Amino acid sequence: MTGWEGFLHGLATVTQPGVLVYCVFGVVLGTFVGVLPGIGAMATISLLLPITYYLSPEAALIMLAGVYYGSQYGGAVASILLRLPGTPQSAVTTFDGYPLARQGRAGVALFTSMSASFLGSMFGIGVLVALSGVLSHAATAFGAADYAAMMILGLVAASTIGATAPAKGLAMVVLGLILGCIGTDVNSGTQRFTFGQTELSDGINLVALAMGLFGVSEVIGNIRTAERTGVPPKVRLRELLPRREDLARLPFPALRGATMGSFFGALPGTGSTISSFLSYAFERRVSRSPERFGTGAIEGIAAPEAANNAAAITAFVPTLTLGIPGDPIMALMLGALVIHGVQPGPMMLEARPEMFWGLVASFGIGNLLLLILNLPLIGIWVSMLRIPFRWLYPAILIFVCLGVYSVRASVFDIFAVAGIGLAGYALSLARFNPGLLLLGFVLGPLIETNLRRALLVSRGDPMVFLERPISAVFVLATAGLIALSLAGVLRRARQKT
Amino acid sequence: MRHDLQDLAGGVILTLIGLAVAGYAVASYDLGSLRRMGPGFFPTALGVGLAGLGAVIALSAWGRGARTLTLAWKETLAVLTSIAVFAAGLERMGLVGVTFGAVLIATLAAPDRRIAWRLALALVITALSVLVFHFGLKMTAPLWPVGFGTGAQ
Repeated sequence: MTGWEGFLHGLATVTQPGVLVYCVFGVVLGTFVGVLPGIGAMATISLLLPITYYLSPEAALIMLAGVYYGSQYGGAVASILLRLPGTPQSAVTTFDGYPLARQGRAGVALFTSMSASFLGSMFGIGVLVALSGVLSHAATAFGAADYAAMMILGLVAASTIGATAPAKGLAMVVLGLILGCIGTDVNSGTQRFTFGQTELSDGINLVALAMGLFGVSEVIGNIRTAERTGVPPKVRLRELLPRREDLARLPFPALRGATMGSFFGALPGTGSTISSFLSYAFERRVSRSPERFGTGAIEGIAAPEAANNAAAITAFVPTLTLGIPGDPIMALMLGALVIHGVQPGPMMLEARPEMFWGLVASFGIGNLLLLILNLPLIGIWVSMLRIPFRWLYPAILIFVCLGVYSVRASVFDIFAVAGIGLAGYALSLARFNPGLLLLGFVLGPLIETNLRRALLVSRGDPMVFLERPISAVFVLATAGLIALSLAGVLRRARQKT
Repeated sequence: MRHDLQDLAGGVILTLIGLAVAGYAVASYDLGSLRRMGPGFFPTALGVGLAGLGAVIALSAWGRGARTLTLAWKETLAVLTSIAVFAAGLERMGLVGVTFGAVLIATLAAPDRRIAWRLALALVITALSVLVFHFGLKMTAPLWPVGFGTGAQ
C-alpha cells in the first residue's frame, strides 16, 4: 500500500463516528490535563486504561495518543502564563514564554507555541510514515538476539541519557524487570513469585501498577504543591494576533526544532523532554542575537514546542514497527494494545493497516482540531487554571478505584493500587523514576523470551550477540552508553572534592 | 560526617530486595543452563544485578549531603485510608455510600477543610461515578448496602 492510499484508508477509519468521538475526547482531555499542573499525561493515560477494554483497539490507541499529544499543547499554557510547566516537556517554554507574558504579550507567546506545535506535529507525521515503512521492512531481518539487544539498549538509554544518577535509573529498570517476572513463566509454565496467590498468576495487573505509580502517588505528592498557583492573566482573542516581525521568526526555528524532535523522538531513550531542551540550546547557538533568549524570544518558544510535538509523534515509530517502546508513555500504549491482544511489530503494517494508518490519520485530524479549537477557546483553557486541585484529586482517586475494579471485579486490585501508590510515592520522594520501572515491567517478558530463544538457537553461546552484526551494534552502543555515564559520574565526583 | 540518607536507605533496601529475589529464585526454581534457561535463570540474574546497583547507590550516598525532605504524611494517610475504605466497603456498602465516604476522607488532606464544599464535592463525584460506572459501563458492584434491598433508600 502506498503512503497516500494508506493515509486515505486511515482517514476512513478515523472518521467513523465511533472512532472520531474518542479522538476528540482524547485531545480535549489531553489539553485539559496538560493545562492543569498536578496531573499529567502519564497519570491520565493510566486512568483511561480500564476504559479501553470497552473500545476497539483502534479507538483505544487513537484516544490515548490524543491525550499524549494534546497534553503537549496544553502544557505550554501554564508554562507561559504562570511559569509553571503543566508537563515536563513544556518546562523549556517557561524560559521565553513567561517573560513575554510579563511584557503583556502572553497572547503572542500562546499563538507561537500552538502554531509551532502544529508545525512540529505535521513534520513528525511525515517522518513517522517514511521511517515506519523502511524500519518495518528492515525489521523482518531481526532475530531474537537482535531484539533482546535492542530492548536492553533502549532500557539503558532511557535510564542513563541526561540522568544525574544513572545507577538509580538502572536500578528502577531492573526492579521493573523483576516485577515483570511475577506470574506464569511462558516457557515452562512455572508459577514465579506468586506465593500461592491465584490473583498473581497472570502477573501484576498493568492497570493497577500504572494507576498506583502515576495516579495515586502523584495525587499524594501534589495535594499541597499544586494549590500554590498564581492568578493567571486574562488573555483576549485579539491579543493572540502576532506582529509581522514575530511571524517572521516562527517558521525556521520551528522547522529546525521539528527536525531535531523527530530524530530524538524516534530513538529509544531520548524523548520529547530531552529534544525540547536540546533544540532550545541549538536555537540559541545559531541565533544572530542569542542575548534575546530568556527575555522573550519567539524562537525560544517555537523551536522547543515544535520539537516536543514532533518527538511525541515519532516516538510511535519503534513502538509500532518493532514493538519496542522507547519511553514509559509508549510502554503504556503498548500495554493498551496488548490488552486487546494486538502485539505490535514488523508485521503490523501488513497485518493491521487500519490500525497503523488510522493512528497516522488521527494525528493529522487531532492536531488540526487542537489548532482550530485551542486558539479561539484559549480563554476557557486559561480559566481552567483557576480550578483548585482539591476539587480534582478526590475525583481522580475515585476514578482510580472504580477503574481498576471494573477490569476484573477484584477488590484485591484496589488494595494493590493503594500499596503500589505508597511505594510509588516513596520512590518519587527518594528521586527514583517510577516511569523507568514501568518501562522495565512492560519490556521484561519480551526481553526474557528473546534472550532465551537466542541462546537456545546458539546452543548456549553468548557470543551470538556479537556475531550478528545488528545485535553487535546494539551491544556496542549499550557498552558505550554505560562507559559515558560512568565517565560522567566520575567527573562530577572529582569536581566536588 | 553527613550522608545522603534517602539514597543510603534506598540503596540498602534495593540490595536486600535483589538478594531476596535471587535467593528465592535459586531455592525454588530450576536455573537450567545458558543453552536451556530454566525459569529461575532470569530472575536470579536480575536479583544479583539489582543488589549490585543498590550497593553502588548506597556507597555513593556515603559522605554526601542530602536534600531536606518534606514528607506529606497527612496527605499520604488520607489518600491511602480513602482507597482502603473504598476497597473494603464497595461490595458491602454499595457504590453510593462508599464513594461519598471516600471523598470525605480524601478531602481531609486538602488545605481547606470546611465541610460545605466537601459535601458538595462528594455529592457531585458520587453522582458522576454512578452515572459513568453503574449506568454507563454496567459495573456489577451494588449501588446500595447489601441486604437493604435494591433501589429503595
